[in-house]
Amino acid sequence: MKTLFQRLLYLLRWSRQGADLREEIETHRSLRQEALERDGLGADDAAHASRRAIGNVPLAIEDSREVWAMRALDHMRQDVRDAVRGLRKSPGFAFVTIATLALGIGANTALFSIFNSLLIRPLPVRDPGHLALLNDGQWSYPVWQELSARADDLFDGAFAWSAQSFDLTEGGRPVPVDGAYVSGRFFDVLGVPAVRGRMLTPADDSAAPPNGLVAVVSHRFWRQHLGGADDVVGRQLTVLIQRQRFPFTVVGVMPSGFDGVDVGRVADVLLPFAAEPLLQGRDSALSIVGKSWLEIMVRLKPGQTIERANAALRGVQSQIRDAVLPGLRASPAFAARYLTDPLTLAPAASGASGLRRTFATPLFAMVVAVGLVLLVACANIASLLLARALARRGELSVRLALGGTRWRLARLLFLESFLVATIGAALGLLFARWGSALLVRQLGTWERTVSLDLTLDWRVLVFTATLACLCAISAGIAPMFAMKSVAPGEALKSAGRAIAGDRRFAVRGALVVAQIAISFVLVIAAGLFLRTFESLSQLPLGFVPEPLVVVDVSLSASGVPPEERGARVERLLEAAVASGVRSASLSQRRLLTGGGWSSNNEVAVGDRPMLPEDRQRRVWRNATTPGWFETMGIPLRAGRDFSDRDRVGTPPVAIVNEAFVRRYLPGQQPIGQTLRLDSEDSPRYEIVGVAADAVYTTPRQGMLPTMWVALAQRDPREWSAWRNVVLTVKAAPGQRALVERDVAAALTMADPTLVFTSGTFDEMLVATMTQERLVAMMSGFFGALALLLAGLGLYGIVVQAVNARRTEIGLRMALGAPATGIVRLVFRRVGVLIAAGLVLGLAGSWWAARFVAPLLFQVEARDPMTFSGTAAVLVAVGVLAAWVPARRAARLDPATVLREG
Amino acid sequence: MGLTNTPSDLLPGTLELLILKTLVSGAKHGYGIVEHLRLTSDDVLRVGESALYPALQRLLFNGWVKAEWGTSENNRRARYYTLTAAGRKQLAAERAEFDRMIGAIQRVLGTT
Repeated sequence: MKTLFQRLLYLLRWSRQGADLREEIETHRSLRQEALERDGLGADDAAHASRRAIGNVPLAIEDSREVWAMRALDHMRQDVRDAVRGLRKSPGFAFVTIATLALGIGANTALFSIFNSLLIRPLPVRDPGHLALLNDGQWSYPVWQELSARADDLFDGAFAWSAQSFDLTEGGRPVPVDGAYVSGRFFDVLGVPAVRGRMLTPADDSAAPPNGLVAVVSHRFWRQHLGGADDVVGRQLTVLIQRQRFPFTVVGVMPSGFDGVDVGRVADVLLPFAAEPLLQGRDSALSIVGKSWLEIMVRLKPGQTIERANAALRGVQSQIRDAVLPGLRASPAFAARYLTDPLTLAPAASGASGLRRTFATPLFAMVVAVGLVLLVACANIASLLLARALARRGELSVRLALGGTRWRLARLLFLESFLVATIGAALGLLFARWGSALLVRQLGTWERTVSLDLTLDWRVLVFTATLACLCAISAGIAPMFAMKSVAPGEALKSAGRAIAGDRRFAVRGALVVAQIAISFVLVIAAGLFLRTFESLSQLPLGFVPEPLVVVDVSLSASGVPPEERGARVERLLEAAVASGVRSASLSQRRLLTGGGWSSNNEVAVGDRPMLPEDRQRRVWRNATTPGWFETMGIPLRAGRDFSDRDRVGTPPVAIVNEAFVRRYLPGQQPIGQTLRLDSEDSPRYEIVGVAADAVYTTPRQGMLPTMWVALAQRDPREWSAWRNVVLTVKAAPGQRALVERDVAAALTMADPTLVFTSGTFDEMLVATMTQERLVAMMSGFFGALALLLAGLGLYGIVVQAVNARRTEIGLRMALGAPATGIVRLVFRRVGVLIAAGLVLGLAGSWWAARFVAPLLFQVEARDPMTFSGTAAVLVAVGVLAAWVPARRAARLDPATVLREG
Repeated sequence: MGLTNTPSDLLPGTLELLILKTLVSGAKHGYGIVEHLRLTSDDVLRVGESALYPALQRLLFNGWVKAEWGTSENNRRARYYTLTAAGRKQLAAERAEFDRMIGAIQRVLGTT
C-alpha cells in the first residue's frame, strides 16, 4: 500500500522529479569537472570532458523516471488483466451486471443531466452567482424604465428582456424564429462578450440609434442560417411584421452556449426594446403601464446580500409606483393595489425558466425514484458478486494457500466490481445521451419547443463517476464478507455440506429485504402516479375533442390595421366554411392552454357593487362567433347561442356556464340577468344563454366559472391587443387530416400572407397532460424495473439456499418428509424475507407519502387501495420467485443426492 | 522482481548490489558512489551516470535506500543516499545469492 502511494505521489510530481534529477546530475558533473581540474586539466577542457563522460542526460532522466512509471502501470495492468479474465470466464454474469448498471447509471445520468441543465447549471455569463430575478412574473416597460434609472445606484446594473417570436423572411418565405427584445445593457450587465462584431449597447436601445435598426444573433443561428460566415457583421435580417419588412443590421454574434437567460427556450435573434414601437406601430406595448410582458434581472453589488438588495429595492418602490401610476388606466380598486406587494428578488445564477416551475417537483421526484432503482440494482449486483465469491471459494482458498495475501485477494474481488461499474458507467453515459434527448422531446408540445442544453458538462461527468464509484463500493463490499469464510485448505473440505442457518446467507437475505422494501416504495409511487394520470384523463372535459381541428391564426403578423381585423377574421371564417367542413367557428381563446383570458376580479351581477381585485375568484372569459358551442360539442342548457344580429351597436350579450351560475346566481333564473366586470364603466352584459361546464385551463383545475361574449360585439379598438384568433373546425370521422389540409389551403387562398399553425385537438389534449403522463410513464417503468430486479434477487437467493441445503433436503426426504413439507421448508424462509421487506417498505412509503402528495390528483397519498394492491403484487412476485426453486427442491431424488454427499 | 537493467558490463542486478554495499559505510551522493566504486576496484569499475541514476531510482522505488538533499563539497545541492533497514536485509540476501551464482559459474568454468 505504501509503495502504491509512493508511486502515485511520484507520478503526480512528474515534472518536479525531472528537475531534481537534472540538478543532481549537474552536481555530479561539476564534481567530476573539479576532480579533472585537480588532475591538471584546464577549466574549459575539464568542463568539456566531464560533459562528455556524463553522456546523454535527458536519456538518463527518462530511464530513471521510467522505473517508477512502468512499475505502477505493470501492477495496475496485472490486476486489471486478472479481473478481466475473471469476468470473461463468466460472460453471463458480466453481461447481466454490466447491463443492469448501464441501465441504472444511464437512467440516473439522463435525469440528472436534465435536472442539471434546467435547475443547476449556472448561466455562461460573468459571475452568475450575483444575478437576481425580480419575482414574481412579468413587468411593464414603464416600470422597467423607472427601475432601470435607479439600478446603478442600488445594484451593479440591471437588464430586462421579453421572449418573442419573430417572423424573418428567408427567400421570400416567412420563417418563425425564437428571439427576444432586450434592454440596452443586457449584454453589458450579464457580461457576455461577442464572438463576432459587438453586442447591443444602450445607444442601440435609444430613440435615435446611431446605427439604425440592429440585431444580435445566437451562435447557432449564425451557423445554421448565416452559414457561419466571417463577414456576418453588417448583413441584413428582414423581420416581417404586419406585412411590412424591417431590415435589421446584424452587429454581432453571441458566444456559443449562451442562448439567452430563459432556460429551456432559445433566443436566436435579439433586438433592442427601442425597435418594438417601430415594428408594432400602434400595437406597441412599450408605453402601456398595465401591460406586463418583460422580465427583469439585476446584478448584485459585490458583497450585497439578497436581503440587502431587497431592502434597497423596496426603498424606492413607492417612487417607482408614484412615477408610473398616472399612466395606469384601470379601476380605482385596481390602481389602489397596483405595485403594492413588496418587490422581491430571488437568486438567479441559473437563469429564469417557466419550465422550471412546471417540472422541478416532478423531476426531483423522478431523480429520487431512479436513484432508488439504482440502489436495488446495486443490491442485486452485490448479491451476485457475493454468490460468485462464495462459488469461487475453492479458487480463493487455493490462492491463499499459495501465499496470496488477503489484501491482494480483496483487491482482486474489488477490482472486478470496479471494472463492472466503470464499463457500466461508460455505457450508461451513451444511454443517457440518448435517453435525456428523448425525454426532453417529450417535454415539448406542438405549441412550445423545449430546447435544453444537454451537453455533458463536468457536473454530469462528476455525478456519473460518483455513481459508478458508489456502485463499485456498495457492490464490492459484499464479496468481502465472503472473504472472511475463506481459509487455506477449505477448498478440500466443504462442497454441498452446508446446513441451514449459514451466516453467509444473512448478508444476501438483508440485501433482498432492502430490495423488496425499496421496490415497495417505487411500486406505490408508480401506482399513485398512474391513478393520478388515469383520473385526469378520465375527467369529463365537457366538450368533444375527437373531431376537432384547431388553427391558430396570427393577427399581429399581418398588416391589417386593428379596426379592420374583425371583418378580416370573418372573411377567413367564410373561406374555411366554404371549403366544405361540417362546422367551423372562431374564438378568441383556445381551451386547454393552461391559461387564458380572465377578469381581474369577481363579476358584479345586476346592481351589486364591484368587488376589489381577487385573482383567486376571477372569471374566465372567451369571445366566440355563433356556432362555437355546436362545433365544440358543448350543449346549451338554457337560452340561445350568439346570433348574427349580435353585432357592435346592439345590446351586449353574454353566455355563462353552469359553474358561473352556481357561484353567482345559485337557485336563480340566469337568463335575462345582467352583469358587469373589471371596472365601474363596464357595459352591462345581458345573459342570454347557459352552457354546460367545460374545462377551460387544464383538467386539473376543473370546471371554472366562465363567461362568453360575442366576438362580433367586441370593440374594434380592442382588437389591437389581440395577437391571434382561433379557428375551430369540426371534421367528419376519419377526415381530420384531409380537413386540416383543405382548410389550410382555403385560408392561404383567402390571404396568402396569413401566418397560422394548425393541429388536432387530441394533440393539444395530450400536451396539457405532458407532465402527468411523463411522471406516470417513468414511475411505472422504474417501479416495474425495481420489481423485476427484486424478483431476480429473491430468486437467486432461494436457488442458492436450496443448492446449499441439497444434502439436508435429500436426507429429510429419505427419512420420509413429503414434497409439500419441503416446499413449506423453503417458503418459511422466503416468507420471513418478504414480510420483513414489506414492513420496511410500508413504513418508508407512509413516511414518503407527504412528498408526492402535491403531484397527485384525486388520489390520497396514502391510498389504501394502492398500498394493499402493491403489497399483493410484491407477495405474488415473491411467491413466484420462490416457487420455481422450491418445486425443484421437492422433486430431488434423495438417493442421487445422498450418493453425491 | 524482473528488473530491467540498463546496459552495463556487469551481471544483471550486480550494480544495485555494489551500490548497496558502497552505502554501508555511510551516506553518499551519486558522484561519491561512482568514485568509491572506481577507487575500491582499482579503476576497473567505471559506472556511467546513465546506468547509475536509474539504478538508484530502482533502489529508491523498492525502499532499500532513501535520499535526502544536502550540500556537496563544492557547495551545490546534491542528493545523499543512505541504506535503509530493508536495504541492509536486501544486501545480505543479494550477497548470498551472488556468492551462490559466482560459485556456480566458477564450478562451470573449472570443469574441463
